[in-house]
Amino acid sequence: MNLPFIGWHGVITIVLYALFILGTTLYLATKGVSRKSLSSFYLANKGLGPLLLFFTLFSTQYSGNTVVGYPATAYRMGFAWWMSVPYMVMVIVGYMLFAPRLHVVSKKFGFVTPSDWFDKRFNSKAVTLIATLLMAYGLLNYLLEQLVAMGQAVAGLTAGVIPYIYGVLFLIAIMLVYEWMGGLKAVALADFINGVVILVGVLGFLILAWVNFGSLGSATANLAQIAPSKVVVPQIESSMNWLSYYVLVGIGAAVYPHALQRIYAAESEKTLKKSLMRMAWMPFATTAVVLIIGIIGTQAFPGLDRMQSEQLVGMMANALAAKSTANYWFMMLLFSGVIAAIMSTTDSVVLSLSSLLSNDIYGKIINPKADEGQKVLWGKIAGIILVFVLLLIAWKPPATLIEIFTLKFEVLIQVAPAFLLGLYWKGLSKTGVLWGMIAGAVLAGAMTFTGVKTWHGWHGGVLGLALNLVVAVVLSFIFPDSPEEQKGAEESYAWTVKD
Amino acid sequence: MKQVREPIRIKWIWPVMLAIIVLGVPWYLPQGTYEPIIMGFPYWTFISIVFTAALSLFLTYVITNCWDMESTLEDDSKRQKTGGGSK
Repeated sequence: MNLPFIGWHGVITIVLYALFILGTTLYLATKGVSRKSLSSFYLANKGLGPLLLFFTLFSTQYSGNTVVGYPATAYRMGFAWWMSVPYMVMVIVGYMLFAPRLHVVSKKFGFVTPSDWFDKRFNSKAVTLIATLLMAYGLLNYLLEQLVAMGQAVAGLTAGVIPYIYGVLFLIAIMLVYEWMGGLKAVALADFINGVVILVGVLGFLILAWVNFGSLGSATANLAQIAPSKVVVPQIESSMNWLSYYVLVGIGAAVYPHALQRIYAAESEKTLKKSLMRMAWMPFATTAVVLIIGIIGTQAFPGLDRMQSEQLVGMMANALAAKSTANYWFMMLLFSGVIAAIMSTTDSVVLSLSSLLSNDIYGKIINPKADEGQKVLWGKIAGIILVFVLLLIAWKPPATLIEIFTLKFEVLIQVAPAFLLGLYWKGLSKTGVLWGMIAGAVLAGAMTFTGVKTWHGWHGGVLGLALNLVVAVVLSFIFPDSPEEQKGAEESYAWTVKD
Repeated sequence: MKQVREPIRIKWIWPVMLAIIVLGVPWYLPQGTYEPIIMGFPYWTFISIVFTAALSLFLTYVITNCWDMESTLEDDSKRQKTGGGSK
């Protein structure tokens, strides 16, 4: 992103903002956190209250891509991109399918990572390993995307007065310090601050854009003249694509490892309910707002090609900042918000990845006899090494953001049947779930790598999930678990509904 | 004794939810039309906005009224520990 209006002011703003986050989290969120206990470190002692839980769900789900990438997509796609609002509501529908039961089950058995559920339910090393690898792979991709976005945002904000990689390294260092010290509690507090800044920034940006570039009504009337295809009822294939996004994001985002861990970390069911209820309305304050910004952008900057449109938010910010000093500083705040949004998604992903490495890879496979302090330490160090390896890869960022956004869901979503079926049906066997995951991931991966992203509008990940479910059910009937195993499986969840 | 309430086991909410979801996608509207424009949105987007709001509202209802597990289960385990039972 190119933001010539900023430079040293941008550098100073980033530094002060990051130090503010660091100071606050270190001051408020490191007391009472034991770095020798997995649950205390990775799940904040399973005691996240309603406000922190809500904001950490919010800031984790809405990343910098929502602020920078989504208006650009709205610009290219027009009103059909309204789909980004309901598909974010669909995440809550996804939660309704399994979160109520998973929450009570996780409390009873003291789960730390999603793999703990696999372990308890299927009692099979192969199933746990494949599930852990799929989740780790998806998370790595997701982390990579965040690092690329962070690089672009920092490069834009500092306008080349410092090489952007120093900016990224600085932000990563801040993030790793508060994460190292406070675990999920620190992450949640940083998410709270970042969430407030994102909300204020996005709403303020809409007001400024509306006042300076004309209303939504005039932009729509104008768009109907210059590009009617962006205003009219979309083709049937777009509608199918829209439904496909519902499944992909609705189920995919709900079974994100870090999303699952927030179900575990909720202080109580009441807290979880309150947070999810608020989350069901948040798309109206976020993706709906950035859609309108993108549509207004079509009137302010007509005729941009695909690559140019990725710069839309930067162009609008430049034009607005040139109009007054107040606007200028507000835009500075907005872009701190963008970086904040990226940071608060990144920190959650790093933490979740680190917990997979320590609890599942190290604690279950490499050194099962390790004590919790060793596991936590191992996870932290492995997490830091991975971040730096990915930073090296992120140096050559791909051209646009939305494609990689779909890619990470493709594999992550394949763990869904283990929750959607595994929590309710004792007949789901380890053979079924294992080969289901593999078949789904192979189909989704093959479609992605051969460049066939969708089939009649349906994403590879969704088709993979459909195949996954069929394989899981069919193989469960052909190769069922022994009656004792089924009884054991049932014991992991059946107690929740004894009434 | 309080009943455990879990959304997945309350059957009627799912067809309602599915209907709200499917009707929010403009597959059934005539392709190529966009007028009237309502509050700056083409009419079909406006319809989708209404259904999205309906979905959020319905979810709020489901979360409030169809989900109550932890407190019930806790009550049960407390009763078991103290040796008491419900009458």
